[in-house]
Amino acid sequence: MERFFSNKKAIAIFVLPTLILFTIIVFYPLIQIFIKSFYSWNGLSKGTFIGFKNYLRLFEDTTFKISIKNGLIFALFLTIYQIGLGTVLAFAASNVKTKGRNFFRIVYFLPVVLSVTVVCQLWLSVFNSEYGLLNKIFQIMGMDFMQDWLSDRNKAIYVLAFVNAWQYLGYQFALILAGIKSIPNHYYEAAQIDGASPLKAHLKITIPMLSETYRFCLVLAITGGLNAFTQMFIMTGGGPGTSSYTLTYMMYSSSFRAGEYGYGMAAASFLVLECLIATIVINRLVARERIVY
Amino acid sequence: MKTKKLISLLLIAALLVFSLAGCGSKTNEETAGTGENVTNADTKDEIITLKIYAQYSDDDTKIPYDYAVEELKKAYPNVRLELDIQAQDDGQKLQTYAATGNLPDIFQVGTSQIKAFKESGNILVLDDYAKSTGFDKKLHQSTQSLLWTEDGHAYAFPYAGNELVLMYYNKDLFEKHGVKVPETYDELKEAVVKFKEVGIVPLSIFAKEKWITTALYDVFATRLDAGGIKKLDEGKGSATEDAYVTAAEKLHELVNLGLLPSGATNMNYDQAASLFYEEKAAMFINGQWEIQASTEKLGDKVDWMFYPTFNENPDAKYAFSGGGAPGGYAVSPHSKHKDLAAEVAAFISEKYCEAKYLFRANPLLAIQLDPSLQPAEKFPPMMEKLANELPNITSTTAFAWGLTEPKYKVAIEDQSQFLLTPKYSPKEFITELDKALKNLKN
Repeated sequence: MERFFSNKKAIAIFVLPTLILFTIIVFYPLIQIFIKSFYSWNGLSKGTFIGFKNYLRLFEDTTFKISIKNGLIFALFLTIYQIGLGTVLAFAASNVKTKGRNFFRIVYFLPVVLSVTVVCQLWLSVFNSEYGLLNKIFQIMGMDFMQDWLSDRNKAIYVLAFVNAWQYLGYQFALILAGIKSIPNHYYEAAQIDGASPLKAHLKITIPMLSETYRFCLVLAITGGLNAFTQMFIMTGGGPGTSSYTLTYMMYSSSFRAGEYGYGMAAASFLVLECLIATIVINRLVARERIVY
Repeated sequence: MKTKKLISLLLIAALLVFSLAGCGSKTNEETAGTGENVTNADTKDEIITLKIYAQYSDDDTKIPYDYAVEELKKAYPNVRLELDIQAQDDGQKLQTYAATGNLPDIFQVGTSQIKAFKESGNILVLDDYAKSTGFDKKLHQSTQSLLWTEDGHAYAFPYAGNELVLMYYNKDLFEKHGVKVPETYDELKEAVVKFKEVGIVPLSIFAKEKWITTALYDVFATRLDAGGIKKLDEGKGSATEDAYVTAAEKLHELVNLGLLPSGATNMNYDQAASLFYEEKAAMFINGQWEIQASTEKLGDKVDWMFYPTFNENPDAKYAFSGGGAPGGYAVSPHSKHKDLAAEVAAFISEKYCEAKYLFRANPLLAIQLDPSLQPAEKFPPMMEKLANELPNITSTTAFAWGLTEPKYKVAIEDQSQFLLTPKYSPKEFITELDKALKNLKN
C-alpha cells in the first residue's frame, strides 16, 4: 500500500477521471455563474458586460430581501426540526429496550425515498384551505382555527419548510443513529457504574461524541435550507406573489421566466457565497477537534 | 432463506424491467399515407420527418393537433411529424433546445420568446412563406398584428384570434339569492357581500396560475384606462397613474370583503372550476374558451356578463381584457428542411383554426375560414352572444403571455397574485410594479 501511495503516476491516473468530471460538471459551471453575473444576458445571445450593475440591482430588490429571509427561516426550521427531532428519535431507536425499533427505523426513513413530487402533492391535500385534511380536522373539532396555510404571505414559508423537514428527517435520523452506534459501549458502562441516568449519559457522552456527526448534519440542514427550491416550485410557485421565494427560486424566476440570465446568475453567485460561508463557519465553530475512540 | 433470496431476485428483476420500460421513449409519430400534393422537390419520394414542439395536454390542444395531423396526411403525404409535447415550464425546455442548438423544426412560441429568439437568430423570418402560402391573405383585418410583429416581420403563424377574458356567472344562484347581476362596481360589491352572507363564494379563480390573476387586475384596470396592462407593457404609462392605483385599491377592497375563495392563490383550474360547476361559486373568471366546458356542466344556468363599470368611467362597458398577440407556430432557421417546415407550420396553423371552429365552438380565430365549413354542433348561446357583441368591442389589451417584456410580465404576474391576498396592500403592489417598470426603462 505504501508503495502504491508513493507512486504519484498511479494516483494521478486514478484521480484524473473524477477530477475531469468534477471540473466539467461542477467547477466550470460554477465559474461561469460568477462570470455571467457581470453580464446582461438572455441565455441565448452573447450578452453585454455591465460590471456590478446586477449586484447593485439585487441589493435594491425587495424580492431579494424576501428570498434571503426565507432561506434563513428555512435553514433554521430544518436545523431545529431535523436535528432536534432526529436526535430524540435516534436516541429512542438506539435504546435496546424500545419495542419495534427496527420497524420505526424503516418508517422514519420511508419519506426520504419517496418522490418529492408525491410528498408535495400529499401535503398540498393536507394544507388545502377549502378541502384540506388539516382544516377539516379543526372544523370537526369545532375549533375556529382554519387557515389559508399556503396562501398567507407570512405562513407559507413555514409550511413549505415543514414539508421539507418532514421528508428528510429520516436522513438526519439515520446519520445520527449511525453516529450513536459507532460510540463504544464501554463509555456507557462506565457511566452506568458511576450512577448516571440514561438521559445524563446521552447529555454527557452521546451528544459530545456526536459533534462530528452534528457538524455534517448542520451543514446539510443549513445549506439545504438556503438552497430550498422544489417545495416552493411545486406547492406555491413562489407565491402568493413573491412571498415564498428563496434565492434558488429567484434565480429560476429571473432566468427562465424573465429571461434575465445575468441577473439570475448574480442571485446564484450570492447563494454560492452564502452556502460557502455557512459551511466554513460551521466547520470552524463545530467539532474543531477530531474525536478518536 | 432461499425464499427470501428468490423474492429479492424477483423484485430486482421487476425493478429492472420497469426501469427499462420507463427509459424507453415512445415517439409520438404520425405518418402520412401516399398522395401527390407534395410541394418540395426533396420530398418527392422520401419520407421526411419534422420534429414539432406543440401543446398536447387537453381537448383544447389535442383535438386541433390531431385534426391538423390528419389533414396533413392528405396534403403532405410524405411528411411525418414527430411530436414533442410542450412542457408547462415557462419555456425552459424550448430555451434549452435553442441554447444547445437542438431546436425542433417547428415549435409553438409566445410573444416574449419571439423577442429573445429573434435576437439570438433562433427563429426563421416567415415573411416570404406567409406570402407564398397565402396565409397573409387569409388573416382578418383585426388579426394582422398577430402575424406581423412591431418590426414588420412575421416570425410565427398564429392560430388563436383575439381571445377575451370573460366573467361567467350562474344565473340561478343570482336569482335564488335575489342578487342583481352587477353592472357597476357598487353592485359588484353588494353582490360579494350578499353571496358571502349565504356561504357562496362570490368569484372562483384558479389564482395559482399567475396569468389569470394578471387578467383579473387587467379587468379592473380597463374600467378606468382601456389600455390596461398592455399600455404599461408598451411603456406608454406609469403604474402610479390614477387608473392603475384605483384598480388595485378597488380589487383589494373586494378581496378583503371576501370576493375569492379561501386559499385562492393556491387553487388550480380543476379546483376553481369545480367550485363553479358545483354551484358553490356564483362567478368564475377565465378566457372565452371556457364557454364550452361551462355550458357542458351548467347548461342554461351559465352566462357571461360585461365587466362592471366604475362610476369614474361608466363608458368602459365594451373595453375588454384579453386580446391577441404575435405567437403560434414558428420554424427553426437551423432546420434541414426549413422551407418545407415553414409550409407545414402555416398549414397546421390554418388547420388549427378550422378545428377550433368545427369542434371547439370557437369563432375567435386568426384567419378567415372557408364559409362552407360548418361547426359539428351549434355554438352555445354564450358564444352566440359573444359573436353578436364582438363588433361593439371598443378595445382589448393582452393576456400575460402576450406581453412583450418578460421582466414586466413576471412583475405583474407576481404582484397581481400578491394583491389577491388580504395582507398585501395596494400601495406595495403599485410600488413594486413601478419599480419593475423603472428598471425596464433603465
